Amino acid sequence: MKANWEIGVGLFGLILLIWAHYTGLFVAPPEAMMGDVGRILYAHVPTAWVGLSTYLVAFIAAVGAIWSGKWAWDAMVEASVEVGLLLNALLLIQGSLWAKPTWGVYWTWDPRLTTCAIMVVAFGVVLALRRQIEEPMRRLTMSSIATIIAFVNVPIVYLSVKWWRTLHQPYSSPETVDSAMVTPLRVAAFGMLFLATGFVVRRWRQVHRQLKAEVQAPDLPDAPSPLAVED
Amino acid sequence: MTGMIQGGWEFVWAVYGITWAGLFFYALHLFRSERDQ
Repeated sequence: MKANWEIGVGLFGLILLIWAHYTGLFVAPPEAMMGDVGRILYAHVPTAWVGLSTYLVAFIAAVGAIWSGKWAWDAMVEASVEVGLLLNALLLIQGSLWAKPTWGVYWTWDPRLTTCAIMVVAFGVVLALRRQIEEPMRRLTMSSIATIIAFVNVPIVYLSVKWWRTLHQPYSSPETVDSAMVTPLRVAAFGMLFLATGFVVRRWRQVHRQLKAEVQAPDLPDAPSPLAVED
Repeated sequence: MTGMIQGGWEFVWAVYGITWAGLFFYALHLFRSERDQ
């Protein structure tokens, strides 16, 4: 039972997310300028917050993996990058669909959007590296280094709306969001956080099992030497 | 209200539909990986 606590956490997150999305879609008032299109907020902003947090977990795990060489950290790198990439991809799609009715285009090379696109490519490279490298310790080292390099962009994504002139709105906070909208936004954020935690921990268990089996597997016997052909 | 964007529900539904589909298919992927192990 203890080994499955993440299922309970994930299901709790699911319930919170359902409630928050229902409230955001049907109960909360339309946004003052964007009207009903503003309801995308309750899906988009929690995805962004939790996606960036998941990459932070990947960064910590990568440092831990390099520092200790332990497979548990290595498994956490893979699990958190995978879930981070899912949220990152959803974030870009949600953002494009929000941009069309508000900015008139699905995509523009705005600093926030561009850094987000770089983020998905950089962390995609981490997963690609892990698929390519067969030797476990080399894979741990290389993918951890790639994760740390990819993470450099994450604070840039966060701060891009402050550093550069951008179409994207600044940070959302209780001060910038009407009180009627804050509750579903907060609940959606916690729902997404719990659901993502459930995903990461479940995936971590799977990858950790695979890695342990891979490392503990007995060495294969030497391949037979080629037959010598005598004249 | 003056200046408020009218309509756009199709974009809202698309966002929520894709978000839930993405989460559902990832959960399915986890379930299948678990079964294959």
